[in-house]
Amino acid sequence: MLGLVTAGCVMGLAFPTNVTAVVSDSDFNALKNLVQQMNGKLQSLEQTNQLYQQTIQQLQRQLGETQTLATNAVQKAEAAAQAQPLPRVPIDEATVNHNFQILGDAEFQYAKASGQNGSFLLADFAPIFLYRAGDNILFEAGFDTTIQNNAPNSSGYSTSFDLSFAQLDYVMNDYVTLAAGDLLLPLGTYTERGAGWLNKIPDDPLAVDALIPGSGVGAELLGAIPVGDAGKFLNYSVYGVNGPSSADGTGNAGALDLGGNVGVRSDGVVANLHGDLSGGARLGFFVPFKPHYDLELGLSGQSGEWDNAGSHLWSAGVLDAALHLGPNFEAKGEYIVSRYGSDDFGQIDQHGWYMQAGYKLAGLNFELPAINNLELVGRYDSLHDGLGTSTERYTVGYVYYFTSTLLFEGDYEFLHSTDPTQVNQLILQLSLGF
Amino acid sequence: MAVAQFLCTLTRSDMKKNKQSKGLAHTIFSTAIIAMLIGGLACTLCLAEPPSNAQQTNSVALKASTPDPDKAAAKSQLTGAELYSINCNRCHPERYPTERTAAQWKTIMLHMQVRANIPVAQSRLILKYLQDNSGR
Repeated sequence: MLGLVTAGCVMGLAFPTNVTAVVSDSDFNALKNLVQQMNGKLQSLEQTNQLYQQTIQQLQRQLGETQTLATNAVQKAEAAAQAQPLPRVPIDEATVNHNFQILGDAEFQYAKASGQNGSFLLADFAPIFLYRAGDNILFEAGFDTTIQNNAPNSSGYSTSFDLSFAQLDYVMNDYVTLAAGDLLLPLGTYTERGAGWLNKIPDDPLAVDALIPGSGVGAELLGAIPVGDAGKFLNYSVYGVNGPSSADGTGNAGALDLGGNVGVRSDGVVANLHGDLSGGARLGFFVPFKPHYDLELGLSGQSGEWDNAGSHLWSAGVLDAALHLGPNFEAKGEYIVSRYGSDDFGQIDQHGWYMQAGYKLAGLNFELPAINNLELVGRYDSLHDGLGTSTERYTVGYVYYFTSTLLFEGDYEFLHSTDPTQVNQLILQLSLGF
Repeated sequence: MAVAQFLCTLTRSDMKKNKQSKGLAHTIFSTAIIAMLIGGLACTLCLAEPPSNAQQTNSVALKASTPDPDKAAAKSQLTGAELYSINCNRCHPERYPTERTAAQWKTIMLHMQVRANIPVAQSRLILKYLQDNSGR
């Protein structure tokens, strides 16, 4: 019995309890294959996930670097903008190589001559047209438009329109400029640099008006040569123009026409009837001691025939000087001599000079607006015309600067002359430079 | 005859007085002009800045009394602003760079270069200064 029980236990242990289902080998293998496939896929997904994780990390790193770069760039741009302002762009940059402008001045006068009625004397509009046709080419022309009463016993008034100058300037190099046309002549410096609103006294100097031409038609070479590095320079002008002419064709002294010989006459004959040109030159030396302290000296002259027959020479020489001592004081003057031959009076020698000075009361440091805008001016003129008339003129006056370009000038002129028509006069002038 | 002589004397006397009064006016005016000149000169010199010390460098001084090669090298050429202040108010009151555009200054400087007959090199430096500070 015991043996049977034992055998039964052993068989029970040896042989498991019967399951409810029986799995065939094929099913088992199929299941096994499936599990293996799933396992493979799982491994593949794990690998892919790892790659994705690496890529994400890389992108995150790159994003961080980009953000850092952007931040640095913004900071640099802000720093640069603060250090340097943006460059100015000219509003008319398209026209930078050619440009047209109008400068000039306008004057309005009141005058009271001794023994005559006071009168609003004239309105003068003197534009200067500038056309720059490149870096080195300039055309400039100046005009004077004035009104004046007609001759005695004639009614009304006329408007005069004069060409003061018209010249083409070509800067050939740093030392030579060619100018051609109706030139402002470099006899002294008043004509080129002292006329119009630039003159602090309404009237021109006597000797400048009477003894030398202001302009002439011809050609000129001019230039300036620096001397050292302190601003000093020598300047020169050499020119040839038609020159003075005879108003009536004769060689009589009274026929001398300083501004003559221009263009073609109304009868079709060229105006340079004496044939030869008149030549001239100026040499100047400018010495600045420091800003507003400077001295300029110049020597100029011109000579040529003047009468139709070409028998007589007309010659002139000018010594000019200008001195600035500070921003408030200036003095300038010219000494002019001229000589010409004539049929009736032989050789005629003329001379004259002027010296003018101005002092701006701002130099007194009173700090008063009316005083600070006032400049006292004075001039002495002397003229001997070589034909028996001598004139001396003393001028005292002022300039009141409403602005740096709007000036109210007034002066009183004391005349002493062998010409009885020259009388004392008061002149008030409002002038605008633009 | 005596009357004629007396009249002649009177006339000569009048002429002499006229001449004397004209001469006096001449003298007074000449004196006034000279006084104004001297007064202006005196005011200018008295109110001017004291001479610069040899050790100081004035930005607008053109000469140092004690030569310093380094400073001389640095100051060997005047700037456009310095040349502007030297040249550009000799004939007319000072004009300000902001009054014109850069292109306008180019035209005006060409005109001024010819009118004042200044060196082209100086004119270029002045133009650059004006254009750098121009209004537009």
